Amino acid sequence: MNYDVVIIGSGITGASIARELSKYKLKLAVLDKASELPAGASRANSSMIHGGFDDKPGTVKAKFCVPGNKMWHKLKDELDVHLDECGSYVCAFNDDEVKHLEKLLEQGKANGAPGVEIVSGDVMRSREPNVSPEIVAALWSPEAAIINNFEAVNAMIESAKINGAELFLETHVTGLLFDDKGDIHGVKTNKGEYLAPVVINAGGVHSGEIASWAGDNSFKIIPTKGEYYLLDRTTGGLITSFLFACPSKAGKGITVLRTAEGNLMSGPTATEQDDPEDRSTTPEGLAEVLKGARKLLPNFPVNMNITTFAGVRANTESGDFEIGALAKPRGFVNAAGIKSPGFTSSPAIAEYIAQLLKEELADRITLTPNDKFIPERRNIPRFLYMDMESRKALAEKDPAYAQIVCRCETVTEGQVLEAIRRGARTVTAVKMMTRAGTGRCQGGFCCPRVAEILSRELGLPLDEVTRHGGESKLLVGKTKEFLLKKEGATNE
Amino acid sequence: MTERKFICVSCPLGCGLTVTLDDAGEVTKVEGNTCPRGASYARSEVKDPRRVFASTVRVNGGKLPVCPIRSKTPAPRGKLSEIARAVAELNVEAPVKIGQVLIHNVCGTDVDIVASRDLAAV
Amino acid sequence: MSKNIDVLIIGAGPAGVAAGIGARREGAENVVVLERDWDLGGILQQCIHPGFGLRTFKEELTGPEYMHRFIKIAHEEGVEFRTNTMVFQIDRETNTVWTMNKERGIEALNPKAIVLTMGCRERPLGAIRIPGGRPAGIYTAGTAQRFVNMEGYMPGKRAVILGSGDIGLIMARRMIWEGAEVEGVYEVMSWPGGLRRNIAQCLDDYGIPFHLKTTVTKIHGQDRLEGVTVAQVDDHMTPIKGTERYVECDTLLLAIGLIPENELSRMAGIDIHPVTGGPVVNDLLQTTNPAVFAAGNVVIVYDLVDNVSDEGLIAGASAAKFAAGKISAGTRRIPVKGGENVRLYSPQFVTGETDATIFMRVTHPIEQACRVFAEPGLYSQRLRYARPGEMNEVKIKAEQIRNLPDLKEIVIDIQPV
Repeated sequence: MNYDVVIIGSGITGASIARELSKYKLKLAVLDKASELPAGASRANSSMIHGGFDDKPGTVKAKFCVPGNKMWHKLKDELDVHLDECGSYVCAFNDDEVKHLEKLLEQGKANGAPGVEIVSGDVMRSREPNVSPEIVAALWSPEAAIINNFEAVNAMIESAKINGAELFLETHVTGLLFDDKGDIHGVKTNKGEYLAPVVINAGGVHSGEIASWAGDNSFKIIPTKGEYYLLDRTTGGLITSFLFACPSKAGKGITVLRTAEGNLMSGPTATEQDDPEDRSTTPEGLAEVLKGARKLLPNFPVNMNITTFAGVRANTESGDFEIGALAKPRGFVNAAGIKSPGFTSSPAIAEYIAQLLKEELADRITLTPNDKFIPERRNIPRFLYMDMESRKALAEKDPAYAQIVCRCETVTEGQVLEAIRRGARTVTAVKMMTRAGTGRCQGGFCCPRVAEILSRELGLPLDEVTRHGGESKLLVGKTKEFLLKKEGATNE
Repeated sequence: MTERKFICVSCPLGCGLTVTLDDAGEVTKVEGNTCPRGASYARSEVKDPRRVFASTVRVNGGKLPVCPIRSKTPAPRGKLSEIARAVAELNVEAPVKIGQVLIHNVCGTDVDIVASRDLAAV
Repeated sequence: MSKNIDVLIIGAGPAGVAAGIGARREGAENVVVLERDWDLGGILQQCIHPGFGLRTFKEELTGPEYMHRFIKIAHEEGVEFRTNTMVFQIDRETNTVWTMNKERGIEALNPKAIVLTMGCRERPLGAIRIPGGRPAGIYTAGTAQRFVNMEGYMPGKRAVILGSGDIGLIMARRMIWEGAEVEGVYEVMSWPGGLRRNIAQCLDDYGIPFHLKTTVTKIHGQDRLEGVTVAQVDDHMTPIKGTERYVECDTLLLAIGLIPENELSRMAGIDIHPVTGGPVVNDLLQTTNPAVFAAGNVVIVYDLVDNVSDEGLIAGASAAKFAAGKISAGTRRIPVKGGENVRLYSPQFVTGETDATIFMRVTHPIEQACRVFAEPGLYSQRLRYARPGEMNEVKIKAEQIRNLPDLKEIVIDIQPV
């Protein structure tokens, strides 16, 4: 299969690049080893659109964060993504931390982050009455926001697909292909070869390994686990904005936030580990999060927890992003080591990459504007948020919208069917695209129903339906056949 | 003389029963029960322990792919896995009526397997 | 819109079907029960084991058999059922009930009285925050029960069961009868969550080990569950170092408790009791919204379906009385208070309009003779023991309340004698 550009990885970085490049007449292939999107760090993160004060001026991160933030405030309408424009506070508990706020304020100004200011603890508490009485001052960033990261990644990739990009899931890149000059010729995958003169490495936590295939050992990824609590949606009213503690060397520290859908959430830890795929939570990690959460929000209602999860982010030794084209082999572009504020930066990184292809790789591909580019993409209808008249109209047009599948998040069968039409093949894919199963019963009610619909629509036996692809089958066979196949009697 | 202790399963109270048996294995005393059902359960449990078997059978053309069944009366405990296999081999046609006998005298136990719900055909 | 509805009942499980019967018997004309499933009976349709209705029918029935009898009575009494109809919103100002159904679309109903009978749901894994991965193969016992008994599929080959609630114990036996293995049942408390007879007939009969004061401390596997780590816990429920053991399994079934399902009740602006998790009710099963009544596991999680049906009958009858204007706004509300070892109880108010049964659970087991009573001098009953897994009852006659016009509160308690 011949393409102009192959993008490795469809997290928010890869998806944003795919959409940006779909503005040009290019044959694009986006490859991801996961069965549903988002899968890696883009699934399990703080879903923060950062204000832009945290990055040292002059770093690559600082270059992209503020422009990315601005772009998201516009993209939310274009892509129909939930963005809670809530603002953020960095909270200081002592004089040293107040000094740190001052430094952040300076950085914010230097980075061009609008509206950043320091307020007193009392002023903050007049807006956020439930936060700790021990907060003495806080840095307020009005442009910071919280995004629905499940929607955002799917919106980006859908928009790219609308404009001609092709997405290949469960496609694991295992190596690079080089031409006789030693330049990029494509990638090898478990599903065959994908040929292209340009390969973009948006491989997240695997991006260091992928770069090394191209002989680039200039950076190393340090997989860094972040663990989180996610609480019931009824708890979201405790805060109205995103709360940071003062950052430490390891990361931005434990935050407390309200997701775009109104769940209280807290995390992440920052634990370095060897295994890029180990997303298990740990007793120590969860205890650390709880401690951090209670520091900011003393009555953090952990008894309303509905799930805990962990993500592994692609930290680098330098702490900065690794973005650029290699001089040799030609055609290999890194969008690597993207960690916080990666989600924020992604649309700006994507624009930069397009520019870079024009300027530095013109010998390999030509970027001709795609005059048929459609910027708008609509989300699957969100029944929960619709007014009653719209709901009625929708249900009248399609009775599947008059059948609830997920009772916690009021997700209808119509939404699940639409997710399947848009490519969902697993229970988790439906969850990412519709929120079915993200609520307080965590799929206890809807998982069997979603599985039944997947089985019906895809013509798969129920016991072939998976939770998240691979070996994650929900069931192991039919009852009676299972018993009859078994040798001898039961363990009576 | 021997003593055996077990929990009565006749009702949700779950009384702790103590049964005394003489050397010939005959029950001489039942203690701990709060009702006559407990006493008869105790006697049955030491001589011929029985349980109601409840499972499902495969149904062709029904509103559900399986229909719940039960043994109409308690079946010998030692025969339950044999009964489970006999039930697993069965395929019935919808519609199914509650109380409908699906297997007579299952595994020679003199116990019938009956449907425990109505299941309409589709 | 359809005819005027006198009593609208939400959920056709045991409480809802009984409420329909109760409302019709009290004289309500148009009694409608809404059910989200295609079939009536609620969760009992998947509870195919015997153990239901001994008190009501003097024999032990399976769940479907129990519901079959009640549904037959309801049809005879003229109760109308609407299946495949889900209530997704109740407006608190108007008590408008919003329903959806594939044929009828979205409809608003404005009944004279509402009975909430949505039942309960199972506590999910997140509620207990076990570290580890999030692979396939972890189910609440009830979800597994649905797969096995309604869909005809096996959730796994080798199961560990966490928690000793009755559904977990029942599912242990059910898995064995379908040819799976059950490695053991683990309970973090020092006493079982479910009935002793279920430990006897579902675990002991099949030699399934039952571990008290032990819990799952880690989940292994990313795609399908590969195993769990179990460990003993100390008196503060903290895992004891050195007691960890790896157990290979492809399935983890959770039987860690039930929670009344009150999303709709909250929308209806009803006070929810912080301990029961269900609506605050009086002995007429009237909630803090006078037109809304509630019965069954949506109020407090019962041990026996007979109790659920009894309460359904009461709530249905009360709703019919309210619809007919027979419950005055000035009804007495005498608060019920619980003593030290009373963990939860319902109803929380007594009116003197009816004979009242107060259901309660103890916090800690009392393994000796004890006495359950209601002060001042309203009820006293000797018990052989009191255990958290088994509800106790206090019965107070309407006449007793009427004879005490100055009664300010009722205190219920259980103490060793």
